[in-house]
Amino acid sequence: MTSLIIVSVLAVAVLYLGLFKYKTALLPVSVTGLLAAAAMAAMDWDLEKMYFSEMMLFDNYAVAFSILLILTTLLIFGLSRNYFEKISNNVAEYYALMLFALAGGVVMVSFHNLAMLFIGIEILSISLYVLAGIRRKDPASNEASLKYFLMGAFATGFLLFGTALIYGATGSFNLAAIASSGAFESALFRAGVLLMMVGLSFKVSVAPFHTWTPDVYEGSPGLIAMFMATVVKTAGFAAFLRLFLMAFAEASAFWAITVAILCILTLFAGNITAVFQDRFKRLLAWSSVSHAGYLLLAILAVGFSASSAVLVYTIAYSLASVAAFGIMILVSRARGNDHLDSFNGLARTNPFLAFTLTLAVCSLAGIPLTAGFFGKFYVFKVALAQGYTWLVVLAVINAMIGIYYYFKVIIAMYMKENANAVAIQLNPGFRLVLSIVVFLIFLFGIFPGLIANIL
Amino acid sequence: MLLQSSASSYLPILIQGIMALAFVGITMVITHLVGPKRRTIDKLTPFESGISSVGNARSPFSIKYFLVAILFVLFDVEVIFMYPWAVNFRELGGKGMIEMFVFMGMLLLGFFYVIRKGALDWEK
Repeated sequence: MTSLIIVSVLAVAVLYLGLFKYKTALLPVSVTGLLAAAAMAAMDWDLEKMYFSEMMLFDNYAVAFSILLILTTLLIFGLSRNYFEKISNNVAEYYALMLFALAGGVVMVSFHNLAMLFIGIEILSISLYVLAGIRRKDPASNEASLKYFLMGAFATGFLLFGTALIYGATGSFNLAAIASSGAFESALFRAGVLLMMVGLSFKVSVAPFHTWTPDVYEGSPGLIAMFMATVVKTAGFAAFLRLFLMAFAEASAFWAITVAILCILTLFAGNITAVFQDRFKRLLAWSSVSHAGYLLLAILAVGFSASSAVLVYTIAYSLASVAAFGIMILVSRARGNDHLDSFNGLARTNPFLAFTLTLAVCSLAGIPLTAGFFGKFYVFKVALAQGYTWLVVLAVINAMIGIYYYFKVIIAMYMKENANAVAIQLNPGFRLVLSIVVFLIFLFGIFPGLIANIL
Repeated sequence: MLLQSSASSYLPILIQGIMALAFVGITMVITHLVGPKRRTIDKLTPFESGISSVGNARSPFSIKYFLVAILFVLFDVEVIFMYPWAVNFRELGGKGMIEMFVFMGMLLLGFFYVIRKGALDWEK
């Protein structure tokens, strides 16, 4: 709870620092504040405290995901020096909006009441609508913002309608009260569950509600797309799982088949479309859709160490995405665009970048010795334990399709030549963040026990 | 008994709604049938608060109207939260007072930000 207050106050403080033109202080203050917030979140471990008449519950699940969200934001801030200054004059607003979005994310992983779920999603989404369109003069950025806003508002309508129906069926917004209400058979409750599923599916870009993802990722500035792919997706899935785990677990016989179908649709839509992309940012956007499919597998297996599997997967996915998007930003800035051909010859000019990107896409593809392998491993394991063998087989086929398109960029970097390529200059922030990511991907890929037994 | 509500207890509201709609409908129909019809140019122009209309309504206007309007809506809606607080002021006690002050403080911070950013400077 203290961490949530720190993040919120930090956002206001950063906004005011920008107002009084202390631009050099923005980054140090944000980083210090986030470190303090992560430390305060860690202090809540094992306390299981309820706040505001049972509106929020800071159990270990909430603490673990809060820390993950805060640390991912920290990594993104590490890449942001001199980034936003090039886009606009209102630099403080970027940091403040990202911190507000993070506050929304923390609410989303710690809610114990449907009203708080809604408030968390709205705090996160409204900040993102602005962030997506923050390059005001760029039509693509405007399109991204408008598209995200219109579809997001529509999805929120579904979510609220579902919330209302569940309140009608059970007489409560409280997750524990809903779980013990015994109204799982009523049509009102079932319609509510499905409508809430639609709303949440949109937020985490699950097919068939994923169509906004590539356009919004492509139109947004690179770091914002990175934020969407990591923090927003993690918060969205943590909220999705928390809701279905704490409130709807008893009714799983009813909604499991729907989630299974969404999972198959998402896997095939994401992976097959990604094969045909020739721009790296769009490829990453479609791959982020496909990762939503793998994470849905874990939601199918609620109650059976699903939260642990989702935590491992989101850690691995966030780390790899930070590296992949970061290098995409560097390459597209140095070579003019993010076309796969722009990566030609990167191994010769920048061996460190080429190695990091190789590691990142291997982790996204789930190659052993990287964190991503164990992410997929645990997700498949919980799904198999629940008897979804056919679904896991389909997911493995999709993972193989994934390897094909992820390796296109490795082939471009190592096997294709670009005669007039010059080395890309790295600033210290990029060097530090990418080194940390490389270290952690290897660490969690070799010692998965460090993160697998947290929850 | 008072809290029990069923479909039949909404019957008076339904009757009132029908009466209101019927009154509007009947008066409109009767004036059309009974009243004399004298069409003059002045009568056929669109009515705009008594002023003769000028040009098309779909012309560009300053974006500042939009900004002021949206800020008005924002602060207007926030005031709604004051009403339930005021009604339950005694029951909420000192804690409620502090919570409301925190809320108003955040609102004032936002208001100060808006002013400092020059969003309300009409002349700029």
